[in-house]
Amino acid sequence: MVVEHSFPTVTASPWSVSMRDVTVRYANGVVALKSVSLDIRPGEMVSVVGLSGSGKSSLIRSINGLVPITSGSLRVGGFQLETARAGELRRLRGEIGMIFQGFNLAKRTSVLNNVLVGRLAHTTTLRTLLGAYRASDRQIAFEALDRVGILSKVWDRASSLSGGQQQRVAIARALCQEPRLVLADEPVASLDPPTAHEVMGDLRRINQDLGITVVTNLHLIDLARSYGTRIIGLRAGEVVFDGPVDSASDSVFSEIYGRSVESADVLGL
Amino acid sequence: MSATGSSVAGTTAGLDLPTRPGGRWKSWCAVGVVVIITAITLSPQWGIAFSLDAIARNWQNGAEKILQLLVPDWSFFPRTVPALVETLQMAVIATFVAAGVSLPLSLATARLTNPNGASRSIVRALLNVVRSIPDLLYAAILVAMVGVGALPGIIALVLFNVGIIVKMVSESIEANDPGALEAGRAAGGNQLQINRATALPDIMPSFINQTLYVLELNVRASSVLGLVGAGGLGLLIDAVRTFYRYDQLSLIILEILMVVMALDVLSNAVRRRLV
Ligand SMILES: Nc1ncnc2c1ncn2[C@@H]1O[C@H](COP(=O)(O)OP(=O)(O)OP(=O)(O)O)[C@@H](O)[C@H]1O
Ligand SMILES: [Mg+2]
Repeated sequence: MVVEHSFPTVTASPWSVSMRDVTVRYANGVVALKSVSLDIRPGEMVSVVGLSGSGKSSLIRSINGLVPITSGSLRVGGFQLETARAGELRRLRGEIGMIFQGFNLAKRTSVLNNVLVGRLAHTTTLRTLLGAYRASDRQIAFEALDRVGILSKVWDRASSLSGGQQQRVAIARALCQEPRLVLADEPVASLDPPTAHEVMGDLRRINQDLGITVVTNLHLIDLARSYGTRIIGLRAGEVVFDGPVDSASDSVFSEIYGRSVESADVLGL
Repeated sequence: MSATGSSVAGTTAGLDLPTRPGGRWKSWCAVGVVVIITAITLSPQWGIAFSLDAIARNWQNGAEKILQLLVPDWSFFPRTVPALVETLQMAVIATFVAAGVSLPLSLATARLTNPNGASRSIVRALLNVVRSIPDLLYAAILVAMVGVGALPGIIALVLFNVGIIVKMVSESIEANDPGALEAGRAAGGNQLQINRATALPDIMPSFINQTLYVLELNVRASSVLGLVGAGGLGLLIDAVRTFYRYDQLSLIILEILMVVMALDVLSNAVRRRLV
């Protein structure tokens, strides 16, 4: 007899990202990314670092098409983003989990309903409108909540949770997608230091236990060094460093930041 | 803040200050427009005509009416019941229909829940037209079209309500945090799914609030609509008014007051459970 495992088993293979001369220019003329080229291999855990305004969010949002690229070539999984149509873009996003600095939960509804947002790409519009999610989708949501240790909060209102718990719900929402890639934009910038470490630990486990590719924007040096294996440094929209964490010394960070490293650049603890 | 610290406090000379968009003349224009409109309103040629001496001339007449109003004719009550029930039915039915129609329209008129500019403008323009026509005018036109009775009243109330609910709810959508919707988009949902799963829960309290408010408005409005033949207490009000039965009129007003107060208690109870 086969013993049932409580974790969702990863059957889908993780995705890679390939950028060639990607430029992002916003409508107001600001050029957020200047001819960026980089490759992220399947199953990697990458930290993107840089000062505020260096283009970290623009980089991570271009990967799931929330920010359209102005020129260049961007390949994610099997999708070519510069030519992807609306339907293709939704299918792409369905395979990519995203975690935000501000958690981005629907505050007035239950934790379960928030996690089920992760099933939208796999649910018909009619089912969504009626709120009639399939039992199998609800099962996936319960398992995702269990994985981040807050299954006990499943029926609570999202707004009644603490910041750390809300970010866990957001991680469960991403996991509920059964993603091949997880993008996290400053996931711990709104959290206190101990909670920040717990959430970063969750992300690392997603990468190590499930083998999912994880790309995280961070501005704190010690977090970038302790979680993940590779650091990409952005400065004024350009990649100024790309290498394994061991090679990212303090002098490398002062190069990325364009100034000497300060105490505010580390979380401590 | 800059590390080089080349700027001198109190001067803008060394600062690379970007030019202010629009400029200062915009706010002066706004002040000017308000002043001009006020002047026109008060001017003798184009302004509104009103005089206080009319009140002084007719006060005796008015005092008599007020005395009559103070003594309601209680025996009239049984005859008011069917009309009162009809008014309540009109108000409730119109509120339900209007709420059902308003919810999708609210989502269609807010930028966050309908990023498509063209369709948003069309729905907005239609609603502006709907809102600009007074409920009494709707009722008068509809009575001419479908005949005397509760139906034209209900349709008039629905049109009147949709204008109110959609405006208020779509404004509350715009004021909401767009974060949850962004998460829905990032998860691969289409706009309908995103609206249902991430926007709806957050706008529900505002939607229910507006619906309760409209129900209260409808009880009052539906008693006026009868004046033009659109059913309810208004028909009765018209009848007693033409016979100068102010004692009966005051009973009707008292009944409306009771209903409005009861609704107020009810909606407060509902609101308390919402927040
Ligand atoms: N939607 C937008 N429209 C116009 N300009 C934008 C937009 N989003 C970002 N920018 C500009 O693009 C540049 C890069 O912004 P981005 O948000 O990618 O930086 P970031 O590294 O994530 O910064 P932070 O650490 O503050 O989040 C900035 O100059 C910013 O002002
Ligand atoms: Mg950012």
